[in-house]
This record gives sequence, structure tokens and C-alpha cells, in this order.
Amino acid sequence: MSKRTSIPILLVSLLLLVAGCSDSDSDSTTTAAGGDTATTQAEGGDTETTQTDTAEPVVVRAAITGDEDTINPYTYVSGFPGWNLLMMQYDSLMQLDAAGEPQNWLAASVTASDDLTEWTVSLVEGAKWHDGTDLTIDDALFTFNYFIESATGRFSRDLRGVESVTINDAGELVFALGAPNPAFDLVALADIPILPAHVWESIENPGEATFDISTNVGSGPFKMTAYEQDQFYRFEANADYFRGAPAVDELVVVIFADDAGALAAIRSGEVDVGFERVSPEQIELLDAQDPLDVVQGPEFTTQMINIDVSKPPFDDLAVRQAVGLAIDRQDIVDTVYLGAATVGSPGWVHPDKTVYNPSVAPVHDVATANQLLDDAGYADSDGDGIREFNGQPMTFEYITNSSDSLRLRIAELTAEMLADIGIGTTVVSVETATWEEAVWPGFDINNGRNYEMATWGWSAPIQANTIRIAELVHSDPGIGFLNLTGFSDPEVDAIAEALQVEADPAAAAQLISDLQALIAELQPFVMLAYPDGAYVYNSDVYADWEFIAGQGIVSKLSLLPPGARP
Amino acid sequence: MLRRGLRNVNRYLLVFAIAVSLNFVLPRLMPGNPLALIAGVDVGLLTPAERAELIEQVGLNEPLLAQFFDYWKSVLTFDLGFSYRSGRSISELISERLPWTLLITLGSLLVASVIGIALGGLSAWRRGKKLDLSLLTGMISLQSLPSFWLGMLLISVFAVQLGWLPSFGAETPASGYEGWERVDDIIRHAILPIVTLTILSIPGAYLTMRYAMLEVLGSDFIRTARSKGASERRVLFGHVARNAIAPVVTFLAIRFAFAFGGSVIIETVFSYPGLGRLIFESVSGRDYPVMQAAFLVFTVAVLVANLFADMMYPVIDPRMRVR
Repeated sequence: MSKRTSIPILLVSLLLLVAGCSDSDSDSTTTAAGGDTATTQAEGGDTETTQTDTAEPVVVRAAITGDEDTINPYTYVSGFPGWNLLMMQYDSLMQLDAAGEPQNWLAASVTASDDLTEWTVSLVEGAKWHDGTDLTIDDALFTFNYFIESATGRFSRDLRGVESVTINDAGELVFALGAPNPAFDLVALADIPILPAHVWESIENPGEATFDISTNVGSGPFKMTAYEQDQFYRFEANADYFRGAPAVDELVVVIFADDAGALAAIRSGEVDVGFERVSPEQIELLDAQDPLDVVQGPEFTTQMINIDVSKPPFDDLAVRQAVGLAIDRQDIVDTVYLGAATVGSPGWVHPDKTVYNPSVAPVHDVATANQLLDDAGYADSDGDGIREFNGQPMTFEYITNSSDSLRLRIAELTAEMLADIGIGTTVVSVETATWEEAVWPGFDINNGRNYEMATWGWSAPIQANTIRIAELVHSDPGIGFLNLTGFSDPEVDAIAEALQVEADPAAAAQLISDLQALIAELQPFVMLAYPDGAYVYNSDVYADWEFIAGQGIVSKLSLLPPGARP
Repeated sequence: MLRRGLRNVNRYLLVFAIAVSLNFVLPRLMPGNPLALIAGVDVGLLTPAERAELIEQVGLNEPLLAQFFDYWKSVLTFDLGFSYRSGRSISELISERLPWTLLITLGSLLVASVIGIALGGLSAWRRGKKLDLSLLTGMISLQSLPSFWLGMLLISVFAVQLGWLPSFGAETPASGYEGWERVDDIIRHAILPIVTLTILSIPGAYLTMRYAMLEVLGSDFIRTARSKGASERRVLFGHVARNAIAPVVTFLAIRFAFAFGGSVIIETVFSYPGLGRLIFESVSGRDYPVMQAAFLVFTVAVLVANLFADMMYPVIDPRMRVR
């Protein structure tokens, strides 16, 4: 610390000294400041030349928004891009390919028993840790038992259904599951980083330990060599990587406080790629600027309206269906996303998923919506354009988070659509933590809900693993722990429960299909759109970015030579 | 004199106690929950048991009153505790961030007060003339500029369009610069934030100086000085400026104290790793201990600066000396 902060401290003292000497002498200070500016101009020129001269080692500078702490399995902060940066340093047994399907990676073979309760994995040879020691099957065994024993964190949750992990006589890893899990390869094998036993066995309580980056010993293509909180990370290529040396020699990840700053730095050439999505109105502008390029594709994040359906009048199916019919999803895609999104399926599942049920198409029909409300007795008796319910106008507070301007536009646009069916809304834009606390108090649905209507969205993993549809709609908080709208329906519960234990993939697909039809009919929430991912990069510096379906371009695949990708 | 000083100190202690207590209450009145920050990824996927364990780990399960006493104990023992976010010692975090913040806040305070005081004096001296009116209009317009907008405008012109200056950070990330090269790099990075802050703080210094001067200019002793035949220069520097300086000193002292709070908006716009950025990150994540500590530093700075200004008055202005 002393070394890093010594220079700013020195500068501050210098400043105070100058202040002390020249309090009333305005002339001398102004010239001094002027002199500084002159030298800076010269320096600015220098930086530009060094930028273009670095042809030899490929250095990619990437922008992220928000610090990710030391990025080890217990410290990284966000699912995206935090997990992706974690996996630059570590490897999992399987790795998603460009189509989003898990392929063997540290695993040489993965086989599941017919009933999907036993998974057997053999390991590749030649993988090494960053410190030069061999990565062995014992490390893998240690990792899984470590996550199972330490109980908290994403990777422990991935392993909840695992009863035991052992090594068999053939030296393979055997996972015994309590119940069939057809997605075990996707949710666990392609998600969990394998840890070096010799580094982690001394860390007894990882949830409470304080880490620095010396713990970050992985087997991945990059090794973290420096970290300054809220400033940057520096990763160096691992030349001995078991799939071959990375195509990028050094990765500097710059931590910005907000997207606007990151975007300015990309446009000024100070940063070469943005890990966060570019907003739709920026796509054309950035693409037009040389040497910037934008790569775009469908993703699995979701945009929806959550409504507290446990309270009247939204506990009435007719009202929910009317709301669903009043929303013009195509208009949202065109107006808010400028076309860079896929129209939301009212049944939740993205049309690109194999289990998508094509019979649940979105319908926009304001006349039918009005008819439904008229028939159900919600009349506008005072002629102010807003229907009444129990003598009160049907006007609701509609909250959205202020940090997301697209959501604010969605809220305003959908508020107008709802006005067409006589439902009034007051759009309230609040800071993110306040919005989260209203929709999902304490991140625990047992705490209830403090909102009427809200914009909402789930991150890609929830859509990517379609079995998780059950978590969104089941009425028991133990199963439906993401059921934020207070939805409850016995038929949905029954199918969701059956889905959780279904071993046969075809039967599970059928259950997911049935659930989509029910969700589209019963409207536990209003699905609006799946925004596209669009990422900007400087093609002069590095252009080989791989877009993984539903996941974007930030992954180790993008930084490996094409031959080393699955 | 000594008794008066003691009374003063007592008053400051009372204000300190109230401010420090509010400092505990306010973050907790905000809606929102630090759990997301503590638990990290996918906080919603925690089972109730895991959730309870986490809450217990950081002491959030204790009754509020117990937390309050713990907090006071930590304030009085100068033990600021640990960040929920990074688990790092907060004193270390603050001592890392403070120099950066002081570099840009004091840098701009220095430039802004010199320019502001000079222009304010000039403006008052030429009261009602064209120069005064255009300066006054100009300053009031400057004062109404939104700070984030000004910062973004300067980034867009000097970093993106012209490419003269870096748009973010306190240093080039992972540059490996040492010695003078590093000093130069730091100065280049500080220029845009300092310029932005300077532009935003000139009007304050200007308006304070102008009004203080105008008040003095209207007083009897200035008329006397003039009628005695003192030169304009002597009237300005010997009488007017000398007497007008007291409110300006207060203004500067307070501004100096505010420098310790950093500038949340400017440090966010420029992704500058100072105290303001630390406050921004801790507020958005509800990192209570860090919020408390940052506000505590700020509170103490404001109180000390006020005390300092109080004590400076008798030195600057003999009329305020109490016998």
C-alpha cells in the first residue's frame, strides 16, 4: 500500500505547499497550471504512437462496470462478467461451445447412466496448475467435496443433489445423484471451476476468509498478476495451457464506475473491448466508427413485467389475461430495442431453445382485452378513462430501476398500452437497491412483496437451463424460490414437481412444453422480450471474438486460438 | 478567552455526537439490503439456512441497539472495521483512496479559489459596470451546470474527439510506470477531473468574495480612507480586501473540509478511485461499515474545518478578539 499511495500523497503535499506559498499571487499559479497542460499535450501524442506500435505481444484492454473483488470462486461478485473472468483462470470439466452446448474440456469423457443418477468422468492428461504442478483426478475430487462441504456459494448449490463423489478403480470420477438430473453436465460440470487441492486444503472456512490474489492459482489460460480495487486487473497468458497457448498475451480488465465512462474509453481508443452489452441506440454509432466493430446475437436474459398476482384485482385471471393482450411486444422490440431483441414468448422459454413450445405465440388484441375486463365487471363508471374496482380507480404504482434507461422506456411504453384498456399506472423510477427490495425483499420470497407492478428481468442462466422454469412458478417457496409474483396454481405445481424428478429427456421436454402453455394462459408474469447481446471491440487490436449462443463474447474461448476451441 | 474556547469545544463535541449517531441511522433507513453484496452471486438462490448464517457472520442479526453500541465503540477506538464487499480493513481502504481524492479536490480548490477570489474582487470593484454584470451572469450560469454533464462533455471533447487526455482513472492501468513517468501519468489523469471540479467551484468563491467586498465597500471607513486621499490601490488592498477576507476564509475552510468527502459524481464520471467512488460503490451495495466510515471522515473534516475557521477569525480580524 505504502508504495502505491506514496506518489499521490507526495503530489497532494506539493499542492498544499504551492497553496501555502501563493495564496494571493494569482499570476504564478495560473502559469504553472498552464505549463502542465502543455506537457500533457505532448504526452498525449506519445501514448497514441505507443498504442499503434504494440504489434508484438497482443494486449487486450477490456472494460467492465463495477469491481469483482479478487475473482476467486468465493469472491467474484456478478454472474456476468464475474464468473466469466473467474473461468479465464480456472477450467471446468466441461466447457460450453459456440452453440451453448457443454463439451469435454478437462474431462476426456463424460458418461451418464441410463437413469441419469450416475455420472462418470475421466480426466485429460497434461493439464497443469499455474505454479507448475500437475492437475490430477485428486484435485477434481477435492474440489467437488470442498464445495459440497462448504455449503455456501453458487458451486455448492450446483451440487445440491449429489450424494457422493468418488474415484473408481479405473481412476475416474463418479458422481452419485439422489435424483435424476438430465442437466447435470450443463449446471455442474460446465460451471464448477476445478481447484488445486494444495492451495485450498488449508482454507477451512472460505466464506469468511480474506483473500488476496496469491490464492488465484488455476489451470486456465490466464493468470492474474495484479489487482487494484476499483481500478484494474492484469492477467498474463499461461503459455503452458493444456489446449495450447492463448492468442492474447495479456488481458487488462479496467474497472469503470458506469457504462458511459466505459463507452467513452472505447471510443477514445483507451480500451479495446467492452464486456458489458452496448445499448441498442449505440450499436450503429459504434459500428460506424473505425476500427470499432460490433458483434450481435440473441441472448438468454429476459425482460418482463412482474405483477403481484396474489392481490386483487390481479388475482383475477381475466385482468391478467387482459394485461397480456394489451401489450404489443413487437412495438417494444422495435421502439425500445430498435429491433435488437427477440419478441418474448408468453410461455417464458426463448424460441431458440429446443424445448420451446411454438403453439404459445404472443397475441396483441386490445379489443379482446377490453371485452374481457368489461365482461368481468370492471367498468369505467365515471368516464375518466380508468376502470374502477371496488369503487377505487384501477391505478397502480409501476416501479422500475433508474439505472436502466431501457427499462424506464419499457415502463413508459407499456403504461400507455395499459391505458388503452383502462388500467392506469404511475411509473416510479427508483434506485436499484430500492427496486430490488420492493420486488424481492431480502432476496427471499418468504418476506413477501412490496410492489404492485414492476419491470424485472432474469439473468441468462435461468433461461439457459429450461428446467428452472419450475422455480419461477411453483407456489412452495422451497421449489419456486424465484416466484416473485405470488403466483399459485395447483396444476402448474403438479407439473413443476413432476419436471424436477423426470429422468427421461423427452418426457421432461413435454412437461416443459405443457408448463409454457399454462404460463401463457395463466400469466404469472408478463414476458416482454429477450434483448440481444451486442458487444463492441477494436478490430485493430484483436478480432477473433467468439459469440457463444445466449452468453455473449466474454469467455476464455474468445481469447484462445480458434484451433483450441471446442 | 480560554473559557470561551472550551465552550466552543463542548459545542463541537455535541455536534459530533449527533452527526456520528445519524451516520449510523441514515444508511439503515435506506430501503435495500446489504445481503446481495455479502453473498455475492445469485443471492436469491440461497436457502433460508445459508441466508441466516451469512447474516449472523456480519452481525446483522444483532438487535439494532447492540449494533449501535458496537458502532460507537468502533468510532471511539478508531477501529473502522471491515468492508462487507471486499472484507478488507476500512482504514486501509480509506487511506488508499484519500490521497487520490485530495489530489483532485485540493487541486481544484486551489485553482478555483485563486481565480474566484480574483474575479470576485475585480467584479465588486467595478460594481454595476459591464465587466461586473457579464462576470456575474457568467458565474451564475456556470453554477447551474450539472456536474456529470460537464464531466462527460469534457471527456467527449478532450479524450474522445481530440485524444489529448485520458478519459478515466487515476493512472494508466497496469502501465508499470515508475518515478517521473508515473508522476506525469498521474498528472495527466488528474487534469480533466480537476478542470471539471474547478469550473464548478469558481462561482462559489467568486460570489462569496464579491458580496463580502461589496459589503465592505459600502462602509464608512472606506469613505474615510478615500476622503483622506488614499490611493485606490491602497484602499483596495489595505482596507477592502483585508476586511472582506473573513467570510472567504470560512468559505475556503468549509470547501477544504468538503474535499475530504470527495466528489461522488465527478469520481464516478471519471472512474476515479477516490473516496467519492468508494462512497458510490458502498451506497449502491449498502456496504454499511464503509458508508459509515466514509461519512465519519467527512463529518470530522467539516467539524475540524469549522473549528479552524472559528479560531482564525480573531487572527484575521482584530475586532473579533474577545478580551
